[in-house]
Amino acid sequence: MSNGNRSLKGNQPDWYRRAVFYEVPVRGFYDANNDGIGDFRGLREKLEYIQWLGVDCLWLLPYYPSPMRDGGYDIADYFSVHPDLGTTEDLVELIDDAHCRGIRIIADLVINHTSDEHPWFVESRSSRDNAYADWYIWSDDDKRWPEARIVFLDVETSNWTWDPVRGQYFWHRFYSHQPDLNYENPEVEQAMLGVVRHWLDLGLDGFRLDAVPYLFQRDGTTGEGLPETHALLRRLRKEIDAGYPDKVLLAEANDWPADLVDYFGQGDECHMCFNFPLMPRLFMAVRREQRFPVTEILSQAPEIPPGCQWAIFLRNHDELSLEKVTEEERDYMVAEYAKDPRMQRNLGIGRRLAPLLERDRRLVELLVALLLSLPGSPVWYYGDEILMGDNVYLGDRDSVRTPMQWSPDRNGGFSKADFAQLYLPPLMDPVFGYQAVNVEAQQRNPGSFLHWMRRMLQVRKSYEQFGTGDFEPVDCANPSVLAFVRAPEKGAGSHGAPGKGAGSHGAPGKGAESPGSPGEGAGAESPVLCVHNLSRFAQPAWLDLVKWSGRTPVELLGRVPFPPVASGLTHMTLGPHGFYWFELVEENPVDPEPRLEDS
Amino acid sequence: MTSTVRGDPTLGELVEHYVARRPGWFGLDGQATVIDDEIVVPGHPGIRDVVAEVNGTLVHLPVGLRAPTEENKALGGAEETVLGLHEGAEGVSVAFDAVRDQETAARLLQAVTGTRIDPQRVRQVRFDTSSSTLAFDDALDFTIFDRLVDGPHPGLELLVGLDRAGFNHVAAPVAIWRRGGRDLGVVQEHIVGGSSGWAMARTSVRDLYASRVSPEEAGGDFASEANRLGTMTARMHLTLAEAFPRRDESVASIVSSIEDHLRATDPSLLAAPETARLIEELKSPASSVSGGTSAVVRAHGDFHLGRVWRGEQGWMVVELTPGEHPVNRPGGVPGDADLDVDVGPGPFERSPLGDVADMLWSFGSVASVAAARRDPAGRENLGPLGQQWSKRNREAFLAGYLDVPGIADLVPKSRQAVQLLVNLFEINRLAGLGSRHRES
Repeated sequence: MSNGNRSLKGNQPDWYRRAVFYEVPVRGFYDANNDGIGDFRGLREKLEYIQWLGVDCLWLLPYYPSPMRDGGYDIADYFSVHPDLGTTEDLVELIDDAHCRGIRIIADLVINHTSDEHPWFVESRSSRDNAYADWYIWSDDDKRWPEARIVFLDVETSNWTWDPVRGQYFWHRFYSHQPDLNYENPEVEQAMLGVVRHWLDLGLDGFRLDAVPYLFQRDGTTGEGLPETHALLRRLRKEIDAGYPDKVLLAEANDWPADLVDYFGQGDECHMCFNFPLMPRLFMAVRREQRFPVTEILSQAPEIPPGCQWAIFLRNHDELSLEKVTEEERDYMVAEYAKDPRMQRNLGIGRRLAPLLERDRRLVELLVALLLSLPGSPVWYYGDEILMGDNVYLGDRDSVRTPMQWSPDRNGGFSKADFAQLYLPPLMDPVFGYQAVNVEAQQRNPGSFLHWMRRMLQVRKSYEQFGTGDFEPVDCANPSVLAFVRAPEKGAGSHGAPGKGAGSHGAPGKGAESPGSPGEGAGAESPVLCVHNLSRFAQPAWLDLVKWSGRTPVELLGRVPFPPVASGLTHMTLGPHGFYWFELVEENPVDPEPRLEDS
Repeated sequence: MTSTVRGDPTLGELVEHYVARRPGWFGLDGQATVIDDEIVVPGHPGIRDVVAEVNGTLVHLPVGLRAPTEENKALGGAEETVLGLHEGAEGVSVAFDAVRDQETAARLLQAVTGTRIDPQRVRQVRFDTSSSTLAFDDALDFTIFDRLVDGPHPGLELLVGLDRAGFNHVAAPVAIWRRGGRDLGVVQEHIVGGSSGWAMARTSVRDLYASRVSPEEAGGDFASEANRLGTMTARMHLTLAEAFPRRDESVASIVSSIEDHLRATDPSLLAAPETARLIEELKSPASSVSGGTSAVVRAHGDFHLGRVWRGEQGWMVVELTPGEHPVNRPGGVPGDADLDVDVGPGPFERSPLGDVADMLWSFGSVASVAAARRDPAGRENLGPLGQQWSKRNREAFLAGYLDVPGIADLVPKSRQAVQLLVNLFEINRLAGLGSRHRES
């Protein structure tokens, strides 16, 4: 592995539009102090791997002190780190080292609620007239806001829980040990702004804001995405823009596309927002072997304000959420992907990518190709790059949070602690266990999925269009084919090096070794055509590419020029679950045939 | 109406020769008598729109005229679109099929819509025996009827009626081209991104035959789509019942009409035991299902999976002209035209269950055509699986159809009567089809 000693250069205010994100639970990645729990120092030791893979930004799951009753999303102190993971100094060193390698770091921040062990709540519940008495939402009865749905249906029966200490009910949209903060109280907002400033001052590059829709409640509403919530997000954004211009806010709001865009505001709320409804439909489309689940949801997504970006993903630390699908679609997804009831979690499916797709590598590759080419910045879940498995027998969402599998050694190379000390048991089954699936083995094997994945990330980074380009569907009568063009963004030219089409120089991936400097050597001028076969059978496709007739499609992975685009429909043949990415170049890139006298 | 050729005696001959060799027109032979000829765009390049009668068929052909010195910019550069040299008031011209030339097609569209149009690209969407459709910049579809009827075009009438009544599962008409009481073409909004119902169903069956599990277990299950298609069909019928006159007719009378049709077209089908059983149950006073009524509405007349389109916003009805025979559908998947048998103009007024039966028949047809394509020798015994698929999707379609509020007002009250009448309509559809399709 090469250790490119590059640091983040200057302000790049919309770096997140071209970035590849990598979601990592610190406690599950690498254990440097051999206590059985991954830590900041461990993650720092593995930055070289992350850089080698081609990741631009790490997303750390909550690292704050917490009783860990909800994977750390139950924060007990906003200003320090969980002692299991190290110290604040360790975190700062991690950030500095990552920055030196051109990698940014954002972290989860839960602003909707705290742990019931947080000192604010401990004080608040102690009486009705203390300094924190109205930092949470208290009521004498549990009747208010009946329209608000219960998120964790599996375990909660009400959004109100009786507190015998204070003798009142408190409001919580999630677990009953996670009381919601009361943002009607301006002191709470000020305190949270202080939290944000604290971590940004330490070098963090932004936050993934957990559960943002629920910050306010109003009678007669579901309490989701209220105007007051958006007003608070605008104030938060203003604070960031004023003091921290190249930081990012990524909203977690599991909603329909038309409502999701509200979290971008007019470009004055969150920079990014997860596109939750897209994800289950990708899986649905490949099972149904037709594109409509995907194209339907994309057509419903309104345009997003300039400078904003979707975050898209295949899998993450939560279940494969089926909240934003119809009941019929949910039944279908459960029947197809969660045949064992243990695989179901809340309204979703608790499985990792590889087992979800039954280790069908061609299918995984197709879904990765879609992830990397559809509109948005991809967010990759740790371990999926080696096709790690899951353990559906572990409780709650731990099934997909088992230790990273680094090598065939003890504990999968994750930790030298005794097995019994590990925070969760590593996978040891013959199919997905660490002896069969690990980073070391796949790094040695150039044909491994890990190497393929790295290559794909390199290609994506060479073409800015994947991140910032416009999305144009391409007509194809075959329902199993999903084709579209990522055209250079209208009015582009301010980023990277437009005009330096990689195809012109035959040097794909030139920019890929330079994380943190997106755009360098990137093909920023030509449109990129992406054609995907969602069927497990070979398919013909007649594509309407008349708009680009005369251009030469150059396949991005091998730089192979194809015959020029016809003035009528262009025919293409796709292998089972096959896909092609083409740069549509204006010049003819075919090398002249060598002549005898030259040799 | 018929008159001698106006202006130029050679135009009729040029048209005559062209229609005899034009692809898709199956060599319409015979003398062409020009009965209507209008200068749509004068000069060069100009357009003369010609209606001629050939062997009793009304043929419609917009003829483009260019100066001989001008390069022929026919679409795709096809020389076969040239009719020949023509001498008229504008001097000597090269006459060609104006619909096949990007520039004249755009001028024609401009003349029909009355607004200036400067498209970047024009492409053929469909090319049938009875019409040609061009897409302009993914914004407008311009359908030129190549074979005309005296009076309103039935498909256009259906389209306009549905659109005016607010049915949004058709591509909205933007302009209608009409002259001398005949409909010559229509301009519609372009539907972006979609696949035919036939292609969608083939995708599902393909997955099923490869998986060899029950249809509900197969990943490519079509039932939810069939259900939505049923819902859209019911809405279409409810809209048609509002937009056009409707009347009620006894089931017995409808059955008698079907009997008459079978007797005239295929007596062997009428004599089949299954047909006799259905007729007996529907007509016998002793039967629990007899005695009902059904609405008779302006129906589609030839409504099957090949006539519907799955777009980003759901199902659409795309072909409203019964009896069209698409011979060249660019971009279709192989086998896409399997359902496009020429059954002739369907009955325009009938029980909506006639359309339902057409669709259900096409489900069975998809399953059997796919089985025949996959396993011509019949070694894989796909028949039972195909029947399961067909049954599941028929039920899903019917459930979607009958669950739409208000539809009960158009069909017999008894669900069993609905089922029996649909089955009888399916047999009725078989009459007149070739043996290949009957077997399916």
